[in-house]
Amino acid sequence: MARQRSPALFSMARIGIIACHAVLMAGALVMVMPMLWMFVTAFKSAAEIAIWPPVFFPQAWTSANFSGAFETAPFGRFFLNSAIIALVSTASVMLTSLVAGSVFAKYRFPGRGLLFGLVLATAIVPFEAYMIPLYIQLVGIDWINTYQGIILPYLFMAFGIFLMRQHVSSSIPTELMEAGRVDGAGEWWILARVIAPLSGNALAAVGIFAFIQGWGIFIWPLLIANDQLLFNMELGLTAFQFAFSADIGKLMAGSVVSVVPMLIVFLLLRRRIIENMALTGIKG
Amino acid sequence: MLFCYVALLPVVALFFYVRIIPIGFSFLLSFYKWNLISPRRPFVGFDNYLGLLEDENFLLALQNTTIYSFSTVALSTAIALPLAVFLSRKSRLSAFYQTIYFLPVITPMVPVSIAWKWIYDYNYGILNYGLSLVGLPSVAWLTDPAIALWALVIMGVWKVLGYNMVLFLVGIRNIPAEYLEAASIDGASDWQRFWRISFPLLRPILLYVVVTSTINAFNVFTQVYVMTLGSQSAPGQAVRMLVFDIYTNGFQFFRMGYASAEAVILTLIVLGLTVIQFTLARDKEAKPR
Amino acid sequence: MTQTRIGRRSAMGLAAGAGLAMAAGRKAKAADITLNIWTGYPELVPWYKAMGAEYTKAKGTQINILSTSLREHEQKLAAAVPTGTGPDVFDVGQILGITFIEAGLVKPNPAAIDGLLKSAAYRKSSAEQFTTDGKTYGLPMLFSTPAMFWNKAHFKEAGLDGPPKTFQDKMAYAKKLTKFDASGKMTRSGMSLRLSGQGSGIAEKFRFILEPAGGTLIIPNGKGKFRQGYDNDAGRNALKYYIDAVQVDKVDDPKVQHDAAAFVAGNTSMLMREAWVIGEIKEKAANLDYGVAPIPAWGSGPHKTLLQHNGLWVNAKSKNIDAAYDFMLFISSKEASVKLTQLSGWVAARSDVDWSPLLKDIPQYKEFVSPTDGVQFYPEPVMAAWNEIESRLADRLPNAYIDTSLQDPAKLAAFIKAAAAQTDQILKQNDLYGT
Repeated sequence: MARQRSPALFSMARIGIIACHAVLMAGALVMVMPMLWMFVTAFKSAAEIAIWPPVFFPQAWTSANFSGAFETAPFGRFFLNSAIIALVSTASVMLTSLVAGSVFAKYRFPGRGLLFGLVLATAIVPFEAYMIPLYIQLVGIDWINTYQGIILPYLFMAFGIFLMRQHVSSSIPTELMEAGRVDGAGEWWILARVIAPLSGNALAAVGIFAFIQGWGIFIWPLLIANDQLLFNMELGLTAFQFAFSADIGKLMAGSVVSVVPMLIVFLLLRRRIIENMALTGIKG
Repeated sequence: MLFCYVALLPVVALFFYVRIIPIGFSFLLSFYKWNLISPRRPFVGFDNYLGLLEDENFLLALQNTTIYSFSTVALSTAIALPLAVFLSRKSRLSAFYQTIYFLPVITPMVPVSIAWKWIYDYNYGILNYGLSLVGLPSVAWLTDPAIALWALVIMGVWKVLGYNMVLFLVGIRNIPAEYLEAASIDGASDWQRFWRISFPLLRPILLYVVVTSTINAFNVFTQVYVMTLGSQSAPGQAVRMLVFDIYTNGFQFFRMGYASAEAVILTLIVLGLTVIQFTLARDKEAKPR
Repeated sequence: MTQTRIGRRSAMGLAAGAGLAMAAGRKAKAADITLNIWTGYPELVPWYKAMGAEYTKAKGTQINILSTSLREHEQKLAAAVPTGTGPDVFDVGQILGITFIEAGLVKPNPAAIDGLLKSAAYRKSSAEQFTTDGKTYGLPMLFSTPAMFWNKAHFKEAGLDGPPKTFQDKMAYAKKLTKFDASGKMTRSGMSLRLSGQGSGIAEKFRFILEPAGGTLIIPNGKGKFRQGYDNDAGRNALKYYIDAVQVDKVDDPKVQHDAAAFVAGNTSMLMREAWVIGEIKEKAANLDYGVAPIPAWGSGPHKTLLQHNGLWVNAKSKNIDAAYDFMLFISSKEASVKLTQLSGWVAARSDVDWSPLLKDIPQYKEFVSPTDGVQFYPEPVMAAWNEIESRLADRLPNAYIDTSLQDPAKLAAFIKAAAAQTDQILKQNDLYGT
């Protein structure tokens, strides 16, 4: 729109825009710096890590930190566990959010407000505060030190239910569901064939949140996994850092391994991810 | 109606099992004294709560968490909004910026905290190197108690900025073009159009951003946990936050009841803040109409 | 080990050990047992793994090791042991050990282990630490004492010919050893103190100076109760020492690199730490020219150093309790003890081990395996509230070290008074307070 203005204003505006870009570029640099710094450090030798002034790019790229990290701990296995935990959790969160979100959005039944309120309110309580009672419950069913025990608390997500409810109540026309009912469709059919197909983006957003959460958990597996073979990436990494004197190079190498899959997924699907994540806020 | 209960049953059952029951148990524990290990678990009434009121660590954690949360929320909102306004213009670079600014949102907290700890390193950190390039003295980002909390705020803003920006961005794009065009014809400047038209329409999103950011900020934990490890780290007091203090009481001193009481208070605070934010937003919305 | 010169006491220990091994050998029969072992010391993992492999070869029992670092390890144990989901054998400090003992989660030692602990295989002081109400629980695993590492090259360069004997000398030496760059920024600290971070370690390091100065965090009243013991000259002197080091003499600074990493990198000249630092140096800076001396004395006072035992314990809820005790014996043999030190750098708790091959290889171990005569040990009080007492003091210290107003003696005294009052307060909360 600026282009339709007078020439003088045009050039003023142009200078302003260039200045804005300069600021944005600087900001962008700040945003990627931590990741970049992590990457280049992971490829430096110990001698190059501890020098002042620091060199940004390693003079001699080395993969020693990576091989060292994989020797010290089975990061391959950790990686696999992270993937299993995050994927199962994501699938379950998407399903439960769809069902519960739709029901909360489109059906009236006694206890609806109370139940939905409870779901939201408990989301505020920090997990660290009740993980011991949960642990004791899992002892009762013998789920300590198992995959199912690690994943259980992450099978549903209050935020996901909230998002789906918002989406369904505002974007799915009730008439469409009524039309289905007139045709004799059951409620499950409506859920699967009417609501679900129209909720792809919202579900994707929920899935992304679930995946980020599932990939990032570490306090719970720390408590419940008693076998290194059940450790996930984040836990392996923390355990790694906690050894007496942390080896920065190896630590960064492990961090890179933990971050890279998220980065790849993100860069491949960036537009969808950003748009879908954005959807989550609109109907707040 | 039967469908509702049948459909909800698995979710609700799960919800009760992994949230309601443990949270309820934790709430009950807040009236007991229990070291996690001993079979003895005496009832102490409100002693844990009363103890907290005199506990300087708790009060300090409350203060730090409040400063951290308000700063993070205010800064990330104040930066995200103009950023979104600028990026809402059609520009080839817009998608690029969005990707870059969004990057921190998707990266897991543990590796990111480790990376930031290394960035903040006084001796070899890239941040101090950057300062030295422009002739500024090195800053002890983590070890200086006056600065450590702000180092965490910077990282907190960095992490959440992209998410808030994208939310605003979509909000701006959803503003019907006719509104803005009408205002242009009336001779409103860019500035006026933003404050008179865009901003009021963005208010629901602003509320959403502020509420979710506040909840997340009050529950900050992983960064603190990582940043206070070791001798080259932040002084515990400088960055003591509520969840970290709960963790210390529960898992380092094994005072489970006490830690539970602290968690109850934290929950009430966040709940209260959320209600206040909603009320404020509703009042504002009500006035113009 | 056959060339060992066997003394009277150690001969008794040897006999006891042999008897034990036979007794235990009869009990462990099932080859399909798996024992779970948890350790809070990642450095010990290579040793545990080696011992596990040997044990599997000898007895057929499988050994599964889980290592997390100390803070996480203790948290896991606290959740797992009472609920019966814990390991069969675990190592942990005595503070948590006593909590388990009080809760009945660790049982008194069987006769074989009890005999070994009371034999000459262990120091009397070690055995006492593992005795509660006349019964022994668990076995000491690590004999952990700090000593002072000093960088010989730095000393030579500064014209100093040996390590300081007193803390006063140490400060004077440190002033000569500290280096600054042109802008006045410290590039090498004369001594590395623990000045920042979080957790009990900060208070523990404060005690390195407090105790030689004649103070202590808590004093027993002889009737099972305690009171603070540092609101006095010793407490004030120890804090003043830290403040002088940071603010007045400027021989250390919270900003510079610290701890083992700094010593290994040559960024500090003196560091008070335990034996494991030797392992670090061996791995990361094999050419470092350094010595290890006793912790300095305070003026004409005695040399004093902290003694911590990390213990091995058998979980009372273990389903393979006999095998667990058998494994515990197996990894507490003399041979296993030597190996422990070789593989991890930590010093094993058995006192009847012949360290001469190790000392020939790395003479710096001397101060750790056979401390200089006259060095007194102050033990860790065995009580559940100890961690809280240390941690709460540790919360206060980092700010004090850099608080310039504390150069005023009255303010410093007030600070110590407040910290000590909190210590008493914690004792009271735990029904442990008494004068």
